Amino acid sequence: MERISIDPITRLEGHGKIDIFLDDEGNVANSYFQIPELRGFERFCVGRQVEEIPILTNRICGVCPEAHHMAGAKAVDAVYHVDPPRTAKMLRELLYSAFFVADHTTHFYALAGPDFVMGPDAPVAERNILGVIHKVGLEIGGKVIQARKFGHLVIEMIGGRKVHPCTSIPGGLTKGITEEQRQEIEQMGRWAVEFGQFSLKLFEDIVLKNSTYLDLILGDIYTHRTHYIGLVDENNKVNFYDGKVSVVDPEGNRLGKYAPNEYTEWIAEHVEPWTYLKFPYLKKVGWKGFVDGKESGVYIATPLSRLNAADGMATPRAQEEYEKFYKTLGGKPVHQRLATHWARLIELLYAAERWVELATDPEITSDNFRTIPTEKPTEGVGIVEAPRGTLTHHYWTDERGIATQVNLIVGTTNNYAALQMSTNKAARALIKGGKVNEGILNMVEMAFRAYDPCFGCATHSLPGQMPLEITIRDKSGNPIHVLNQNL
Amino acid sequence: MVKKKRTKVIGLGNPILGDDGVGWRVADEIEHTLLEKGYPFQCQTIQIEKASLGGLSLMELMIDVDQAIIIDAIETHQFPIGTVRKLMLEDIPDLNSGHTASTHDTSLANAIEVGKLMGAHLPESIFIISIEAENLFEFSEELSPRVEQAIPLACQYVWQTLIELEKKP
Repeated sequence: MERISIDPITRLEGHGKIDIFLDDEGNVANSYFQIPELRGFERFCVGRQVEEIPILTNRICGVCPEAHHMAGAKAVDAVYHVDPPRTAKMLRELLYSAFFVADHTTHFYALAGPDFVMGPDAPVAERNILGVIHKVGLEIGGKVIQARKFGHLVIEMIGGRKVHPCTSIPGGLTKGITEEQRQEIEQMGRWAVEFGQFSLKLFEDIVLKNSTYLDLILGDIYTHRTHYIGLVDENNKVNFYDGKVSVVDPEGNRLGKYAPNEYTEWIAEHVEPWTYLKFPYLKKVGWKGFVDGKESGVYIATPLSRLNAADGMATPRAQEEYEKFYKTLGGKPVHQRLATHWARLIELLYAAERWVELATDPEITSDNFRTIPTEKPTEGVGIVEAPRGTLTHHYWTDERGIATQVNLIVGTTNNYAALQMSTNKAARALIKGGKVNEGILNMVEMAFRAYDPCFGCATHSLPGQMPLEITIRDKSGNPIHVLNQNL
Repeated sequence: MVKKKRTKVIGLGNPILGDDGVGWRVADEIEHTLLEKGYPFQCQTIQIEKASLGGLSLMELMIDVDQAIIIDAIETHQFPIGTVRKLMLEDIPDLNSGHTASTHDTSLANAIEVGKLMGAHLPESIFIISIEAENLFEFSEELSPRVEQAIPLACQYVWQTLIELEKKP
């Protein structure tokens, strides 16, 4: 038995670790995706004033503080039973749209893009954003920096500071925007729409017109037939900030939609002995193991799943791209995980268009940006779509608004079962007869990079320091390897 | 009149993730001392920042800065907990994992090269004051005792670096 370890996973936040176990013939017996986690966030929150939590959750991890701020803000609204005015909701969504543009840009150009622009087996030293710039041209680097800059400027204008917004409070926001700021935001949004179109064109030229890449995307190695979830508006169009979570099966049939406070009726968590992190699954379908299909409760929450779970995009250019996406890939739902990169760019364009829509709404500069809460605080759930998947925050308080319990299901956690399946499948397909090289390992990594996983905050609900012995078993259940870890 | 050099002191880390917050604490100390005792430098302006960033975002924070000092927790397992060291950015392995070098995008070294390619003015030298940490995985506003005790020494390293930069032509 030989073990191959990819540690640390390059180009991925957090400290993930994959162990791939080979059998006597050098083929993959199994693989495990493990994460040493950040612990105790929920315990850290208990005893604090609940409106402090959207600011604290900002700091769970450095990758998507804006998403935690928004989910937290919505949960706190629910705790205080207060519905923010239209302007407040629009301002939050505007900030959030700008954040999506910046975040999706970074993922595509810095993390996913290099696999396609440089090629999956390019030397690791070239397979990064610098390689992309050298190959495609300096202009592209400037655009990436510009997209991020504009996104951060909008976040700062509405959110009060860069990266870690702090203006959402129960019932709305602490401040609005001026007409002058609105004009600036609109102008930046119009640039972002062009950038979104540019990015999709680039994807078409580099990836879709290359038959090798198209075959790679459409091939079986990176395909799983699972359920899909994603937030949708009242017309069942993709929405990142508000709405209900739509759930569709692997054939594309909608099983239903749940409101934030109904999430426990839909999502349950499965525990495996080899990892602390739990595997969420669809309660109504049930846990059948790490398997595909209609009978298996495994679901994903990613850009691809959001498109699959919705009936379309709410903005015109993104809708055109949505239609082209399904036409090119053979109809709905699309199960090929590498298509997530394309879906992410369609979302980027949608976020940019939505940014302009919101910035040009006559009520966006209104000073009616807060409803003062009057009800006694109790319990509330907030759900938004984080770039990496559906993000759920659930807070309970006493009558003074002091947090007594906190539960979070973060974007990446939703995808844990699917990540394990995708990594395993790619490893089995690519590693044969003990032959392993950097290119092959990178292609295994591509299986999970599509999900854009981030484990910095995926791990939150555990007791403190705990030594763990992990036993890995063969297909018959016999222990074949024991790992002792101090996690 | 000679143009003053722009120095940025960046406390890096997550202030609620145990020892990862040490960079912020050192930056706070430096800021308090400057406020209490006055500003002793003639040849440079000093800006203090606290951030939980890496990669492209951290690079963006250093645009139009001439020299930067980053204070961060580090976990090498090669030095006793609380060891303070002064390193140059070039001394840090260019991994995409680990706090200084990490975010969801690219390594800091790569990001700086991207910035320079884009024509951004970035620091000619980036000093890292690292503090060997033990708890980087459990949420807490407290530092572990040996890391807490390392704060005065880390501050001293920052001051020494600022004085060296002041004397540099």
